[in-house]
Amino acid sequence: MSRSMNASSLKRKRPESSSANGSLVDADRAVFNVIKSKEDMGIWTRDIKFETNLADTVVNKSLKSLLSKKLIKEVVNIKNKGRKHYMAAEFEPSKEVTGGAWYVDGNLDKELIGVLKGLCLKIINSKKVATVEGVYDFLNKSKVTTFDCTNQQIAEVLNSMVLDNEVIEVKSTGLGEYHSIPIGTVCYRIAKGAGLGESLKIGAMASIPCGMCPRISQCTPDGVISPRTCVYYQKWMNF
Amino acid sequence: MVSQHGIKLAVYLVSSFYGDHNSKVCECLLRRGTLTLAQIIRFTELSREIVRHCLLALIHQNCIQAFSIQQEGAFGEAPKVVTHYMALFDNIIHHMRFPKFIAIVKDELGGECEKVFEALLQHGRLSFNQIVDREKQTVSKEENFDVDHLKESFNKLVNGRFVERCPAPEPFLAPPSDEETPAKKRGAKSTKVGDVSESIEQRALAAAAPMESLRFLAETHNWSDFSDKSSEEKFTSVKTGEKRKQDFLETDGGLLDQDEKKEVLWRVNFEELIRRLRHQACIANAKSRLNDECGIILGAILELTRSSESKVNIGSTASVSINDIYDEVIKKKGGLGMNLERIRASLVELGCEMPMLVEEYSIDLKSIIDMAQNEEVESIVLKRYGREAYRMFRFLSKSGCLHETDKIADTTFVEKKDAIKILYKLWKDDYLQMEKVTVNGARQTHFLLWKVNRQSLCQHVLDEMYHAALNLRLRIAHELDQEKEILQMPKDKVGEVEELRKRYMRLKKVSIIYESSLMNLDDALMLFHDF
Repeated sequence: MSRSMNASSLKRKRPESSSANGSLVDADRAVFNVIKSKEDMGIWTRDIKFETNLADTVVNKSLKSLLSKKLIKEVVNIKNKGRKHYMAAEFEPSKEVTGGAWYVDGNLDKELIGVLKGLCLKIINSKKVATVEGVYDFLNKSKVTTFDCTNQQIAEVLNSMVLDNEVIEVKSTGLGEYHSIPIGTVCYRIAKGAGLGESLKIGAMASIPCGMCPRISQCTPDGVISPRTCVYYQKWMNF
Repeated sequence: MVSQHGIKLAVYLVSSFYGDHNSKVCECLLRRGTLTLAQIIRFTELSREIVRHCLLALIHQNCIQAFSIQQEGAFGEAPKVVTHYMALFDNIIHHMRFPKFIAIVKDELGGECEKVFEALLQHGRLSFNQIVDREKQTVSKEENFDVDHLKESFNKLVNGRFVERCPAPEPFLAPPSDEETPAKKRGAKSTKVGDVSESIEQRALAAAAPMESLRFLAETHNWSDFSDKSSEEKFTSVKTGEKRKQDFLETDGGLLDQDEKKEVLWRVNFEELIRRLRHQACIANAKSRLNDECGIILGAILELTRSSESKVNIGSTASVSINDIYDEVIKKKGGLGMNLERIRASLVELGCEMPMLVEEYSIDLKSIIDMAQNEEVESIVLKRYGREAYRMFRFLSKSGCLHETDKIADTTFVEKKDAIKILYKLWKDDYLQMEKVTVNGARQTHFLLWKVNRQSLCQHVLDEMYHAALNLRLRIAHELDQEKEILQMPKDKVGEVEELRKRYMRLKKVSIIYESSLMNLDDALMLFHDF
């Protein structure tokens, strides 16, 4: 690879030209080909340098050139937000790169998740018991959201609410409140106390300072950290 | 194996109830396992006399069990019978919950039975005559002392299985027979020393226990008719084993006293009380998790099936017909208005499957206990590590298998960079297990996999609870010590000075909070250890 460049070749920026600008275009092409080959996964700067075997400065210049020509774009890789990651312009970043539907610019879209959780809670509260399809259909029919969400997304939100103990997952018995749901179908109902805004029941151990203490493993009867000198106990008893 | 903080708590309880010498002997046995008298003397560095008295007292208080085994003599000597002593950890910890036991007896049988029961708790083991003598001393001269009334109360306790005949103080464990020896030898190669001694202790407890037909047999007019056979055997072996004199607790008015040998000794039956508490815990869990009706129905089923339970921690209740359940439910407070349909609906909520042929139901108690344990642990995770940790922990706990970090973060809606930090913290504090996996491809990629190991987690949480219970007790003692001047003052003098009155009221409030927290924590201890 010739590193010689004259002034005239730098001024003329015509990508089609392959005579006087041969080396720069070759470098750009090599970088672009590597980036394009990764399709919707994209590639990290260091990996580009590794695969093209070009010098750092050459790669950096190529990237700048390709960006200005809008042939490539920079994307945020959710697994390594600090690294510069590039992708050919015609591709949409894959789920592995973006983090999925719940990520925006490499960050979790907590606002979207919060809105959907609130809606799901209200729907289940009004219906008493609902399936994933039931919640999805209700959302679509009522058009309360300005965005589209899939059945899969609703299932993921409900699963997260189960883990938060806001709703419980049950199987339909076909009787009573479940009469419209086929027997054995997974459905959801409000967890006891959740709909009323009550907090989760606190266990016996979690109700005392030792249960919350991050230093319990270092606590000894006569040590520096001990029940006799414990500041958490002091605060607990400050009426 | 008893956890470290379990041992510390047990030692503290023995010290509080019976003094430092007794606690030293107990600690020696709890840390080192079953020992002979000579070994206890050597390890505790207490005098022989003190150790002997401590052992007698602790056996009497059901904190220690003695047993004798035949040991091979060295250098051609004849085999000799040696007495060993083992600490009864569970019985020591039960001292913490005496008020709960008393409350159960009082609720079920009334105040008269409560008094007798309390005497047995205080003294460890008593004969009926000793109970009578004790009662006579408490009754004033004006009151008429009624032995029949006392006997009736005592019989109620025995029939209710709250009181049982004492085990043999020192059963003799016969050496294994020739047929057993090859199997034992094979076993000895593969098992560790600890496993072999554990089975000796289990054998000792089984040998000491009175026959089931005698255990709750109230004495008739002639006390000597029902002397325990194992006690007689032990007494015979005492006479013939002359070489055991050094290890043997001599008959100086203790358990082996000649006059008392034929009197039946009685003690509190902890097993029945723990069973009642287990039932109470299951009912409370059903009420809080589901609704009051489920609690009433579960209570009815447990009432019907209690007598058929062969051990405390049974997996499921015996099967009961829907009609029997109905008849029991309508007797209970809040149960009168129930009908069969509502009972059936509640039974489904309690996890029962609809029966196919005969309409009988059985409740899976183990699953209720497991759920209660999960709630307790999840509560700790929530309070100590936060909401995101709570979600991730619940995901891993429900799945029961290894998951990669990103999968956990995606499922629980936690930022990936936060997820790894939280998971690492949980792992460092022994709430999670972690495995590293390396994938060799174009480039080496490392993955971290996480899992909840339920068994080791429960042991860890139990140890933390023992630690917390000990801390609460130490803190209560510290608070009382800080204000001992006020406690020693007459109450009217305290009331006169505003500052003193405030301190006294604070101390009172603080004691109530500490004591009630300790009782709640004890419920959690039983959930993880006894139920």
